[in-house]
Amino acid sequence: MSRRVYLDHNASTPVHPEVVAEMLPYFGERFGNPSSVHGFGREARAGVDTARERVARFLGAAPDEVVFTSGGTESDNMALKGIAFARGRGHFITSKIEHHAVLRAAQWLETQGFAVTYVGVDEHGMVDPDEVKRALRPDTIGISIMHANSEIGTIQPIAAIGRLARERGIPFHVDAVQTFGKLEFDVDAVGIDLLSFSSHKIYGPKGIAGLYIRKGTKMVSVQHGGEHERRRRAGTENVPGIVGFGKAIEIRGRDMKDEHARLTALRDRLWDGIRARVPEVRLNGHPTERLPGTANLGYRGVESESIVLGLDLKGIGVSAGSACTSGSVEPSYVLVAMGVPLDWAMGAVRHSLGRSTTAEDIDYVVESVEPIVRKLRAVMPVGAA
Amino acid sequence: MRYSATLLDHFLNPRNAGLMRDPDGTGVDEYESCGDLARFFLRVRDGRVAEVRFQTYGCGPTIAAASAASERVAGRTVEELLSLKPQEVEDAVDGLPEDRKHAADVVAGALRAAALDALGRYQGEVG
Repeated sequence: MSRRVYLDHNASTPVHPEVVAEMLPYFGERFGNPSSVHGFGREARAGVDTARERVARFLGAAPDEVVFTSGGTESDNMALKGIAFARGRGHFITSKIEHHAVLRAAQWLETQGFAVTYVGVDEHGMVDPDEVKRALRPDTIGISIMHANSEIGTIQPIAAIGRLARERGIPFHVDAVQTFGKLEFDVDAVGIDLLSFSSHKIYGPKGIAGLYIRKGTKMVSVQHGGEHERRRRAGTENVPGIVGFGKAIEIRGRDMKDEHARLTALRDRLWDGIRARVPEVRLNGHPTERLPGTANLGYRGVESESIVLGLDLKGIGVSAGSACTSGSVEPSYVLVAMGVPLDWAMGAVRHSLGRSTTAEDIDYVVESVEPIVRKLRAVMPVGAA
Repeated sequence: MRYSATLLDHFLNPRNAGLMRDPDGTGVDEYESCGDLARFFLRVRDGRVAEVRFQTYGCGPTIAAASAASERVAGRTVEELLSLKPQEVEDAVDGLPEDRKHAADVVAGALRAAALDALGRYQGEVG
């Protein structure tokens, strides 16, 4: 294989070599169970404590407000179900473009007697805080709005929504899996009570994530067992994962600002290059309020999976906005909620850049896309979608 | 790679793609739950397929299957084409993954529809 270009960092990232080095001892000589009182256990506990402090520092939180989980999905489930069952009944507000971990948890809560309002988004995929305000009810017990959507990268006005929640004493959950370690924020300044974040999106290992829970937030555990994580999440800690996660966020704290500027420039270079060469292409997502490395482009009248296959054959990894699985294809629910017309939505391709991405990579992708789309359009009947 | 070299070759270099002026038969088939679509155009001489053109909308395997099938059916009688099986289309691309079998269904369906259309026009002319 000649050149390989990975532009799917919103799906996952390679583990940073410094993170791997930090983790390795915890598979071997520091293998102990952090709950054990002997020296072996204390060594493992020290690794976990250091990681927790690093995560807390990044969030502007106290270490005991950080709970480690197995993934963003578990964090989201813990947040929504933890709020719900601590109150027994009530109403949630979330958006139509949340990750499935929030959407399906919310839908399940509906089957358990809770009410949920799913607010819409504008053409850029942005939630309107006024719509959240209008959705408030006397029995609203939680608001869950993501920080940035993984498909389109649009950054939500969480500070304004956080103010609404705080004024009314309603717990505010933010799924920040796509922004943690990429954007600077402070949980106090934004008024966040619960925040989901994950490791493998920021060059840490898979299988480890976390939930920030503001002190005093009324929650119940969804996983019962031992006394781990201050009885909020039972189960022996994933020590190597936690240690790696701590290192990953420490590195992000160091590199994030420079990376933000660099990726924003590369992201715009990609979009400018493609739109100069390919007719009938659109940018899905907010033009400016967007994750630095995310560019979701829609090619009218071309089926996205065929573009992904064409790019894969050139060694380029991107992801399709629509997927044909088990004989059914659905345009992305995010693009549908934004009102993107079907013949554009079906041709959506997400490019997500990361620390390994270079200007040469972007130029190679730009050059590769044009003939692929041109050839596909020659085969595809106009207006078939 | 989950696709055969033959399939990838047809995907990258589709044969006989495009429209046809004044075809003797056209046929369309769509895989409803997926939105994949194939449209074939046939030129018929002496009851045999003299020229094939196609357009598809769909994932890579559908494009490849249409291209490979367009080569495979050239020269056949229109009557033979009426009984074209999806398996033969699949064989023409050296197999399809389970979740992409519909590519062969939609291509075979569109070719059979085109054959039926051509036959109807022919019978209309002589009858």
